[in-house]
Amino acid sequence: MTRILFSDKLDNCVAKWRSAGLAVIGPVQEEAISRYAAVEKGTDFDFGTVLPDRSLKELFFPQTEPMLRYTIKKNEIDTADFTPPQGKRIIFGARACDASGLEIDDPLFGWDYKDEFWFQRRNESVIVTIACTKADDFCMCTSLKLEPDSTKGADVLLRPIDKNKGWLVEELTDRGREAFALISEYLQESSEPALPTVVVPEKFNLDACVTWLKNPENFESKFWKEISMRCIGCASCTYLCPTCHCFDIQDEGDTYSGIRRKNWDSCSFALFTMHTSGHNPRSTQSARWRQRIMHKFNYFPGKFTVNSCSGCGRCSRQCPVDMGITETLQAISNL
Amino acid sequence: MITQERYRTTVKELLANGSIKMAIGYKPGSTPDRRRPLFIRTSEEAEQLVLDSTCVQNLSGYLVSEGLLSDEKRVGIFLRPEGVRSINILAAEYQLNADQIVIFGFDSTGREVRPLDGRSAREFSGLLNELKEKPLQIYKEPLLERIEKMNAKERFDFWQEEFSRCIKCYACRQACPMCYCRRCIVDSNQPQWVNTSSHTLGNFEWNIVRAFHLSGRCVQCGNCDRACPVNIPLRLINQRMANEVLDGFDHFAGLSATQEPVLASFKKDDTETFIL
Ligand code: SF4
Ligand code: SF4
Ligand code: SF4
Ligand code: SF4
Repeated sequence: MTRILFSDKLDNCVAKWRSAGLAVIGPVQEEAISRYAAVEKGTDFDFGTVLPDRSLKELFFPQTEPMLRYTIKKNEIDTADFTPPQGKRIIFGARACDASGLEIDDPLFGWDYKDEFWFQRRNESVIVTIACTKADDFCMCTSLKLEPDSTKGADVLLRPIDKNKGWLVEELTDRGREAFALISEYLQESSEPALPTVVVPEKFNLDACVTWLKNPENFESKFWKEISMRCIGCASCTYLCPTCHCFDIQDEGDTYSGIRRKNWDSCSFALFTMHTSGHNPRSTQSARWRQRIMHKFNYFPGKFTVNSCSGCGRCSRQCPVDMGITETLQAISNL
Repeated sequence: MITQERYRTTVKELLANGSIKMAIGYKPGSTPDRRRPLFIRTSEEAEQLVLDSTCVQNLSGYLVSEGLLSDEKRVGIFLRPEGVRSINILAAEYQLNADQIVIFGFDSTGREVRPLDGRSAREFSGLLNELKEKPLQIYKEPLLERIEKMNAKERFDFWQEEFSRCIKCYACRQACPMCYCRRCIVDSNQPQWVNTSSHTLGNFEWNIVRAFHLSGRCVQCGNCDRACPVNIPLRLINQRMANEVLDGFDHFAGLSATQEPVLASFKKDDTETFIL
């Protein structure tokens, strides 16, 4: 016997969580895009999309974030820290790739300096992953050795049952159990089976790719130029990616006062590596694309023993010139 | 289909006799409805060429990236009329030599693709002049009409809402053939002229800067609008600015390679004195 959360009880659950002080966030279809956003009632959710256009990372690592306010006086500089917004929240209906993305980035945000903005939000968020029963042409979690029902990064895993009637509940962490204890009155014992998760075909051989990338001879391979010739060097793929995490620190204000902010930045941009002298060690788009692939599948796992990609497919889905990680790794596996 | 086959043959011939070193066209993409840019250097690569109504990307930006034309060899490129206009602007702004560009023109109505006569930008002037006379009806759309009925406050709110989604990925800029600046104003960081922050104010700054820099230069190819990952209707801004310069200065961007840039030129008999 497993417990089931029936979708007609979702309204009650949302109300319950909210009255217990948890902000409720979930996949929402807005007029122009879909994203994870605050919901007030059950009908605000949209569980129908394969994957929201925008990733879950931005709820933990927003595109711009104030860090401190500074005032420069004659002989001193005053600073006042911003603290990350406080408040518990439950993210109901994360996709496995998005939740995995958070766990992939944890070591990055904590290895030398513990990023309080990231970890405060991580500690205050309950992640409820819903296993995928459909996928599109771009989904590729399985190629990254994840699954449509991966529990990575999740506090609770839900498995949909037939006819959108609800979900089987698998509590995974204490944080998850605590949040679901709040709504236990709405959970029912049942033997109804879960729908099978979608079959996502493997698109490339990851191990073969990693071996190729690790071979120093391939750093200067002609392959890089060929595969990235049409890349226009925008940041669409990095900014929508649930694991890309680069940022820039900028002081915004005038000579006397302002705000220091942490803003998204991207290895796709020429400016990213531009030296003050004008020299740019990554002067071509192919060098920048190589960096993106090397970082995700060679350098990052070298340091943190996990690939910096969860296979969500957004980079390919959204690329203005129909590129993306998938094609490059497929090409590498076929080399 | 016939157009595609003919062009394949032409491209192969021109490559074989050395008239062009490369042709930039389209090939199938990752899903049946997608097309992606193709760089043809050999006749095997020419076999991949696809030309149908779903080939919509304006490819001319590739001509001015990473020194493609610096060896002075000629390059062929598949262009719709908007693309030809962008070649003219790039030439007028001294970014390329129009004689180096061999145009494979095409256009489509519904699913039907037809070739356009001419191989050099100059030969398209008749067609472009016709376009100037009738562009407005083609691009009219409901959202634009809705915005035109709004008062200033409503319009401000509308755009504030739209720009609040911007993530400053600069895909609009990178996709735009007219955004070729080696160092965009937002990348000028000694000092930082425009904030890099992607909050609502920063997003406004960015989108307004771009709208002004594109006024009288945009060819309405739609590259920016299609590239925007958060679906901001950028076409409407450019459309509006194009209408402004047409009404105010009788200027239709990209008519010829010698056309004066509307916002970077002045006439001595201009009734406005502020610029002198
Ligand atoms: S791969 Fe696509 S989305 Fe990524 S930088 Fe290149 S053009 Fe932009
Ligand atoms: S690299 Fe692409 S597929 Fe991998 S997590 Fe990022 S956006 Fe998703
Ligand atoms: S502003 Fe947009 S529509 Fe205009 S030329 Fe640039 S990409 Fe094309
Ligand atoms: S493409 Fe869209 S999201 Fe990206 S910078 Fe331009 S307007 Fe903003």
